[in-house]
Amino acid sequence: MAAGSGSGSNPKDYQDPPPAPLVDTGELGKWSLYRAAIAEFTATLLLVCISVSTVIGEKRQSGEGGAGVLGIAWAFGGLIFVLVYCTAGISGGHMNPAVTFAMVLARRVSLPRAALYTMAQCVGAVCGAGLARAMHGGGQYARHGGGANELAAGYSAGAGVVAEMVGTFVLVYTVFSATDPKRKARDSHVPVLAPLPIGLAVLVVHLATIPITGTGINPARSLGPALVLGLGTTKAWSHLWIFWVGPFAGAAAAMIYHHYILRGAAAKAFASSSYRSPHF
Amino acid sequence: MEGKEEDVRLGANRYSERQPIGTAAQGAGDDKDYKEPPPAPLFEPGELKSWSFYRAGIAEFVATFLFLYITILTVMGVSKSSSKCATVGIQGIAWSFGGMIFALVYCTAGISGGHINPAVTFGLFLARKLSLTRAIFYIVMQCLGAICGAGVVKGFQQGLYMGNGGGANVVASGYTKGDGLGAEIVGTFILVYTVFSATDAKRNARDSHVPILAPLPIGFAVFLVHLATIPITGTGINPARSLGAAIIYNKDHAWNDHWIFWVGPFVGAALAAIYHQVIIRAIPFKSRS
Repeated sequence: MAAGSGSGSNPKDYQDPPPAPLVDTGELGKWSLYRAAIAEFTATLLLVCISVSTVIGEKRQSGEGGAGVLGIAWAFGGLIFVLVYCTAGISGGHMNPAVTFAMVLARRVSLPRAALYTMAQCVGAVCGAGLARAMHGGGQYARHGGGANELAAGYSAGAGVVAEMVGTFVLVYTVFSATDPKRKARDSHVPVLAPLPIGLAVLVVHLATIPITGTGINPARSLGPALVLGLGTTKAWSHLWIFWVGPFAGAAAAMIYHHYILRGAAAKAFASSSYRSPHF
Repeated sequence: MEGKEEDVRLGANRYSERQPIGTAAQGAGDDKDYKEPPPAPLFEPGELKSWSFYRAGIAEFVATFLFLYITILTVMGVSKSSSKCATVGIQGIAWSFGGMIFALVYCTAGISGGHINPAVTFGLFLARKLSLTRAIFYIVMQCLGAICGAGVVKGFQQGLYMGNGGGANVVASGYTKGDGLGAEIVGTFILVYTVFSATDAKRNARDSHVPILAPLPIGFAVFLVHLATIPITGTGINPARSLGAAIIYNKDHAWNDHWIFWVGPFVGAALAAIYHQVIIRAIPFKSRS
């Protein structure tokens, strides 16, 4: 859109960062790693607390002046937008183990960092759900399902996994597009708008799959309320595997799509990969 | 480049109105601050051998697949419930279409142009922004993607899908086919006009908000058109979206109205292309050097 008139033979106008090492011992001694983990913890806590609170509030008022299902979808999408905006520069603004997983597969973050992020996200989600429970009271919280993800009646577990998978694909695909150095260099709208399409991707996925699974697409978000509701016995607990398997599979698929089809390996096989599409 | 700031500030054309139409641009050709790309050839054999051509097709397929999957699933979620208050409602459907177009145009604009819509491809082809082969390839990939997307939604719950209209576009009772056609034409005009404005070389050079925001007004145009015309036709403005749902739903009353959702968008896209190229930009009147 912005660039695009250059011929393919000139030097590249962008630089791909080198792949992150699997284990980077140097970063373990740095404050910035721990600061990033704390930022992930806080952001996930806020995300889960506010969004679960919206879900419980809507169910308590059921239809009379509540935020409505559209309001729930906006709570998730809007919070992701705001929190990615705030934390992108500190930790990358993942707030989602599936996104972190995709980033490991793409070699953008090292393994210890990813493990630390995932832990921080899960702990943050549990604390956030606990905070929401405290706000609404244990009885009300449990009566309205605790904002946990579970499969709606009439849908098979397979449908739930596919719904989670495609939903996470949309999200992670958007994240990859927003953080791609090549796209950033070519289209001026990519770096400027970045958090907005990520938030709106979350919004539209919620609009689509709230009736099926309540929409996880974030294993930490599903884990938090399920743990706070109680171990072992609840429906949310027995369905929890769907909200880990689906998102991770979707994230891996998005990474493969972006990395191999849109960016990398397959293109190199063609000699004339320099042809540019007419930019829109 | 003198007067550019003034031009940007006013958002107006910098040539004085006393100059006759068309000649102004020729006279000032040497100090233009933008470059109009040459028209795409009808058939370009070179691009058939490039990976980026097929990658763009795959990107269109995946984008249309995701678009149909998310939006039809939202429509299903709304229409299966007896009370609209317990669902995301019509506004949620409109957000689903508009938000998805925004996110997908953002993601695929740099790969394929991010059309996701045969009407947009057709409009841009009329303006000679892509070759005929590419346009046909895109449209085929968009339609295939749309069919797959609607198919996955049907796979989730077949009875529910068939019992609730399958998200197919039909003209609502109380409206004539002419009403539906008019709604589709105007709706697509708004969308394609926005696309042309967002991709215009001159506007991109003059107004900094044009290239930076590009996907956002396109998504909003789709959102607003859906708010307006969901009660009339369910809002197509995208022949691939209408075709995908119609093929998977496959009932007579959906097929009877189906031509509207091809004729309407294509006419609207053609009008927008003519409006933008001839009236706004006067490109046919300019000599190309």
